[in-house]
Amino acid sequence: MEQPRGRWRALHAIGRYAALGSASLFALAPIYWAVATSLKPESKILTYPPQWWPDPFTLEHYLNVLMQSPLPRNYLNSILLALGTILLVLCLGAHAGYAAARYNFRGKNPLLFLLLATVMIPGIVTLIPVYLMAVQLGLHDTHLVLILVFSAWQVPTVVWLLRAFFENIPRELDEAALIDGCSRLGAFYRVVLPLAQPGLAAAAILVFVWVWNEFIIALNLTASNKTRPLTVGLFFFVGESSIEWGKMAAAAAAALIPVILAFALLQRRFIQGLTAGATKG
Amino acid sequence: MSTPGATAARRGPCGAKEGPVPPARCGPAGSAFPLALMLPAVLLVVCVTFLPIVRAVSLSFRDTSYLKVGGFVGLRHFQAFLRDPLSRQNLLNSLTFTFGSLAVSLPLALGLALLLHRPFPGRGMFRTVLILPWVVSQLLTALLWRWLDSPLLGPAAYILSELAGTRVDILGDPNTAMAGVILANVWRSFPYAMILTLAALQTIPDELYEAARIDGAGRWNLFRFVTFPMIQNTFLIATIILTIHYFNMIELPLVLTGGGPVNRTEVLGLRVYREAFVLFKFGFGSAIALVMFAVNIVVSLVYIKVLRAESRY
Repeated sequence: MEQPRGRWRALHAIGRYAALGSASLFALAPIYWAVATSLKPESKILTYPPQWWPDPFTLEHYLNVLMQSPLPRNYLNSILLALGTILLVLCLGAHAGYAAARYNFRGKNPLLFLLLATVMIPGIVTLIPVYLMAVQLGLHDTHLVLILVFSAWQVPTVVWLLRAFFENIPRELDEAALIDGCSRLGAFYRVVLPLAQPGLAAAAILVFVWVWNEFIIALNLTASNKTRPLTVGLFFFVGESSIEWGKMAAAAAAALIPVILAFALLQRRFIQGLTAGATKG
Repeated sequence: MSTPGATAARRGPCGAKEGPVPPARCGPAGSAFPLALMLPAVLLVVCVTFLPIVRAVSLSFRDTSYLKVGGFVGLRHFQAFLRDPLSRQNLLNSLTFTFGSLAVSLPLALGLALLLHRPFPGRGMFRTVLILPWVVSQLLTALLWRWLDSPLLGPAAYILSELAGTRVDILGDPNTAMAGVILANVWRSFPYAMILTLAALQTIPDELYEAARIDGAGRWNLFRFVTFPMIQNTFLIATIILTIHYFNMIELPLVLTGGGPVNRTEVLGLRVYREAFVLFKFGFGSAIALVMFAVNIVVSLVYIKVLRAESRY
């Protein structure tokens, strides 16, 4: 900002790196410890003082998780749930967001407000009746009910997010398409939607991370390993194998990989989605 | 993006032109199309979030035993909740957890956002690393911190024990357990406030700083009169969203401590979870959940007010 003299500037830089360095250490330590534990042989995990670096290094825990645990099935469930929810949310959210961005119609503002108002509902209030409905409709412990409930919680954010993206696409493009003989839906699908790809990507990654991490809804709406996603699977796995530390750590590390990868590859979209979702009025 | 030209063009096809049906602005008949686009999303949200609230209200006034819903019992569940000394403990725990977490995560987020604001070598790397905890699930956060704090295998417990000279078990000791849960919560959630604040900082035009500096503003005054007013609203939004998020927390204490030791970390959300899904008292659970809902409404009204004020400019 200002132009402090040389020594001050050096001190300033040192202070900045020291503060950011310690914060980064704080951010990484828990993740590092799980990964380090997962790579140690069982005999080196419970040492006092702790072994700071895995030596020797082993992948046996990962093989054990893959071969002798129910977690691969949970992994698959999480992927299916994430894909299903992303498809449904993008489909519903894109249409609603487009309507909100392009048209003025009676009831628009109350409907948008209704979506915004979901921020004030604690999940647990609705979870009890949703559980009862799911049991009574015979949908308890199905992928379908999870996808529907997950989607309902993600749709409002995505509508607000996509609406903002559509508003930045010039209206003249829709109008040109209409004049060229497109139907109103055709103009949306063929002209506007392809241009909104960055917005769709931002929405998809937000939904993916949310579904991958969701725990409490899935815990109560599932009852068997056929439907349990990874978070719930891990919860029971840890409860049942409370002394196999290496295996638990390997399972946790494996659960982290997809979100960390998605985040690393699409960081900009993720941040864009997060900030737009919270502050776009 | 919307220019006067766009408005003119918009009016164009609404005239007597033949061909495609113009967009809805031409009359009330056009409302059907956008409504049809919007309704599926709204219907799903109403069915899964709003209708259940109606059901929850009905449940909270009724006698229930697992799936059987019995007669009307008036305010009995609410009275039982208020009279129960554990409820006071739950409420106290929720407030400690919420404000304790805010008190640490907000200054941390603001400080880090200010440090990351200007370009310097390594900035992108620091930013990525510092956002990382936000993509880790509550469940994994709890597991990771349980291992880190574990007296059996955790380096944090080891270091603290060496410093204190005795064995330290943060999550097992009733006096420190809540601090342990708050720390794990701060770890996962501070990036959210940091990202939002950072995004707001990037929108401040440099000219504002130049003008203030020409007027002789020092470092503190620059922050006080230029930076802070410009990020105030965003920071407030982050604060409100995190307040709601913290107040409704279930997962972290559930997995870290199970609400123990001696109920010292059983927050309101966890109590609802236990009453409803462990003891299957759906009526009583709904009543407590509705009390939480009331608190959420108050906090959210502030949020909506801020958003409205924001979009006016």
